[in-house]
Amino acid sequence: MSSIVLIVDDDPFIRKLISTTLEDVSGFQLIEAEDGDVALDLAAEQPPSLVFLDIDMPRMNGIETCRRLRELPGAREATIVMLTAAGVEQESEARAAGSDLFLTKPFSPLALLRLVDGLQ
Amino acid sequence: MAQQTVDELARELERLREQLAEHEQAATLQKEQLERYAADLRETFKQERARSVQLADSAKQLQESYMATVRALSNAVEARDAYTGKHAERVAAYGLEIARATGGTLASDPQIEFGFLLHDVGKVAVPDAILYKPEPLSHEERMLMERHPVTGFEILSDIDFLGAAKDVVRSHHERWDGNGYPDGLAGEEIPFAARVFAAADTLDALTSSRPYRPAMGMDDARKIIAAGSGSQFDPDVVAAFNVVPDEVFERLSREIA
Repeated sequence: MSSIVLIVDDDPFIRKLISTTLEDVSGFQLIEAEDGDVALDLAAEQPPSLVFLDIDMPRMNGIETCRRLRELPGAREATIVMLTAAGVEQESEARAAGSDLFLTKPFSPLALLRLVDGLQ
Repeated sequence: MAQQTVDELARELERLREQLAEHEQAATLQKEQLERYAADLRETFKQERARSVQLADSAKQLQESYMATVRALSNAVEARDAYTGKHAERVAAYGLEIARATGGTLASDPQIEFGFLLHDVGKVAVPDAILYKPEPLSHEERMLMERHPVTGFEILSDIDFLGAAKDVVRSHHERWDGNGYPDGLAGEEIPFAARVFAAADTLDALTSSRPYRPAMGMDDARKIIAAGSGSQFDPDVVAAFNVVPDEVFERLSREIA
């Protein structure tokens, strides 16, 4: 069973960029969600090992999505990486919601690669 | 006039539409270009990762080659000296145990093991008549015999990978009190690995049988080494030696027989 990386961002280009960066690097299966609701549905079906989660999304924001992801049995152990264009003021809120790491946009693609590689 | 304004606005709108289309086209191109960068970065990352695995393999192979070379050289010395058997291997194993007990990082340095294995390589230059002489050596004979640490050091001097091993070879007959040879070093002037070696060497000599005496038991060997603490041996090394249980040395001795 291959591990799953879930990419959650309302901007399709950012999703594409992340999946292009990580594609077939570590035998992970990459799945994408354009908002929090879709992310929660996908995570319930296919429990992810790693989640890249945008904070600024319409409807349900990343922090709320993170909190709800942590309530799913399959996503409790996942590494959740928050992505944001905003400053650090959201970091403590994101941590309280159960995120593990915080990357500011523009994020380093090498940092993404090392993260995924390190999860092997 | 009004018609003219409408026409102008229409032209302006058309111009803006064209501009927008151009910008969108440019943005799409930029995005595609960025994706190519991401894809190339990914491929580079994968290549680098594969290369670092290869590099680690090569380093491992190199280390194994070093070890095989050192063993061959050590075996060549041993082959001449029939009754000491696998003395060098045992001393190396004992020495590593004592080094571990000192708590430092010495035991994980492969050069130290190389030094332990090669300590007597200089004996290749000692004539058979002296090496095998059952009677006590004359002064001149002893001088020749005691040259072996320096001879060994010189034999190995051009081998860079041996590093600190060469110091062990040169200083393995030094004594803590300064009465050893070849340089008469005392205390901490003697490389630490050589001080560890001295205890391991004595342990093996005492617990191995010789034509002129049977092997000594661990209890007696420990007493003799303890008696040499502060004179022949570094007291810290003797303290470390004392915490290594008999069973460890006995097991190594059985395994290397």
